[in-house]
Amino acid sequence: MSEMRDMIVDVVERMLKEKVDKDLVDTVEQGHWAPELWELFKENGMTAVAITEENGGAGGDLEDLLNIVRLTGKYAAPIPFAETTFANYLLEFTSLQVIEDLATYMLCPNQAFTLENGKLTGEAIQVPWARYTKHLVTLAYSTEGTHLVEIDLSQAEIKLGSNLAGEPRDTVIVHHATVSQVSAVLSPDKVHTITTLNSAFQLALMTGAIDKINDLTVQYTKEREQFGRPIHRFQLVQQHIVHLAGETAIALAAFNNLTEALQMNNQNSEVAYACIRFEEIIQAVTTIAHQVHAAIGTTHEHSLHQFTRRLWSWRDEGASTSYWTNFVATQLLENSGDSLWGYLTSYSASSPLLKVEG
Amino acid sequence: MFHLPTVQFTQEQEQFRLDVRTFLQDELAKGTFTPKCDSWLSGDDPEFSKLIGQKGWIGLTWPKKYGGQERSSIDRYILTEEFLAVGAPVAAHWFADRQTGPLLLRYGTEEQRDYFLPKIVKGECYFGIGLSEPNSGSDLASVSTRAEKVEGGWIVNGQKIWTSNAHLCHYMVTLVRTSPFDRKSKHAGLSQLIVDLHAEGVTVVPIKFLTGEHHYNEVFFDNVFVPDNMVVGEIGNGWAQGLAELAFERSGPERILSTFPLIDELIQELKRQNNLEGLQQASKIIARLWGLRNLSIGVAQLLESGNSEDVSIPAALVKALGTKFEQSIPEITRLIVQTYPTLDAQRKIDRFMAESILHAPGFTIRGGTSEVLYGVVAKGVVAQ
Repeated sequence: MSEMRDMIVDVVERMLKEKVDKDLVDTVEQGHWAPELWELFKENGMTAVAITEENGGAGGDLEDLLNIVRLTGKYAAPIPFAETTFANYLLEFTSLQVIEDLATYMLCPNQAFTLENGKLTGEAIQVPWARYTKHLVTLAYSTEGTHLVEIDLSQAEIKLGSNLAGEPRDTVIVHHATVSQVSAVLSPDKVHTITTLNSAFQLALMTGAIDKINDLTVQYTKEREQFGRPIHRFQLVQQHIVHLAGETAIALAAFNNLTEALQMNNQNSEVAYACIRFEEIIQAVTTIAHQVHAAIGTTHEHSLHQFTRRLWSWRDEGASTSYWTNFVATQLLENSGDSLWGYLTSYSASSPLLKVEG
Repeated sequence: MFHLPTVQFTQEQEQFRLDVRTFLQDELAKGTFTPKCDSWLSGDDPEFSKLIGQKGWIGLTWPKKYGGQERSSIDRYILTEEFLAVGAPVAAHWFADRQTGPLLLRYGTEEQRDYFLPKIVKGECYFGIGLSEPNSGSDLASVSTRAEKVEGGWIVNGQKIWTSNAHLCHYMVTLVRTSPFDRKSKHAGLSQLIVDLHAEGVTVVPIKFLTGEHHYNEVFFDNVFVPDNMVVGEIGNGWAQGLAELAFERSGPERILSTFPLIDELIQELKRQNNLEGLQQASKIIARLWGLRNLSIGVAQLLESGNSEDVSIPAALVKALGTKFEQSIPEITRLIVQTYPTLDAQRKIDRFMAESILHAPGFTIRGGTSEVLYGVVAKGVVAQ
């Protein structure tokens, strides 16, 4: 990690540690907004990380941004930080104008809106934080193809909903809404890249939550005593600790490697591998953490559920795992000449993943 | 949690990988070797070891004055991956290259380095590792093979067991007790001696592997004289010296890739069948492999930066997780494609399946059982 990134990570982690506690997360889950936390992120320039400077960005790159997102996952920060920053990242990626207000996005391909004569029509469920955000960035189909569009959400009907973690996931309905910005037709490769980036943001959030669950669980095994000793002294509990540590270490290393690969524009399979592997990791981590915490971990009073419920929600909110297994399988079939080892270790510095088309 | 570094290979390293791969493909085409699963234990071929010695690929990281190339441990990581991915027979020189060389460079005398390292580098001198005894498996500190001081050296009596390829080796780095066992400090009084396996009083007896193959041995010592200049490091410091080797032993690609030839063949078979659904299932294997490789390379990079104290716990974790992965491969494979595993099968996938199934039980035992590793990792995680 660069010194600059170490510094950003350090500052953000201190900020989150100080400002986000279980009560705040509970309060937001009950339907309130957390204005102070959002303002703090905004004032510190965090919402402008990874935006280019000519568009008013604060410096920093995608890897920096994904590390901040990881920390918001680690502290369950109840603000649409990933949503707003990713919406802006997408706008820049498709050569559109970035926006300053709160924003959200919806990229599920089977929920895309239709675009006709500059007007947007359609309905999408599970749109994150829509009730609080001013702009929606979404995929839209026209007779020409797929576009990325941005609309002002004041034109939308919004029905409130929430995910398993109680985070706002609203239904957005628009009829002939005026589109503020529309991209050129996106190639299938470009749509895939958007899906990849979307998953990278999800993986960042999930990595943070996994890291936190591991911390909580190890801490609990030191504090909780049974039969006259802390439970980490029991070999069967140690087996849980090791399994959890292993999955957490793999998640963290996977995240670091995939963000570096994205930033260096190297390869594009890392996100696919990570998404497939995280499926297993999340299943193991949530099961083990709850088993080790036993009854207290199943109560609302304990904070464990704020992270396990998020993982159970977030894992379904990007592209599905079958999208990624299909992607890898197709890549393997198309690489007819090469051995698997050749494919896994192939080095292609010229992959077009993050190149912005003119 | 562990903070492992990431590694981006340089262009020179990518080129090195391709050079090694091209060499191996050429030799494969010439029929120099037959690819095998678990080739670092069962693929012993002294001629092949000499061949890669000529390429300068043994002792790659060692100082040039001993015949090494002074390259980085990441270069060595790449080299090892290429050998294992294709299933090349690297067993003969394996332990000398992986363990004995680094041990002598760290603790050996100048005389020992001058004498042994150039021979190892040529692929002509093989070492066994003498640790386990019939009553000392996981509880290694309880070894009872003893060495008594005499004029000019030591007299060794006792027995080692499970010594891989001792029948092919010239020497064995042997952990012995040089002062009596003390319950209060179990790790004191242990020393490492280089025993000439052809010396008088040494007897190597095969232990047949469950397939009938000969990999393991018992090694008996009956009043074997070991001269003073064959003591490695300090008398009484054998435990600490041995621990330093472990991170190298535990975290390398051989803890992930022992069954890689089978994975590769599975993918080739599915591609021949145009079996998209099978490839989708197999993509999970690849994702797991990628996840483990990130960890393993991260540990290699930590070792490269000389930070060995922080390394022992993640290294133990890599071995525990990696060996479980390589062990699972035949079981997953047989649910994706139909195989008929036999050791002399015509079809590669059937042969690799047989080798993998039959060798798999050993993966999670050799070099520290998973149970011992779990204990190490759990204590390390709780202490963080």
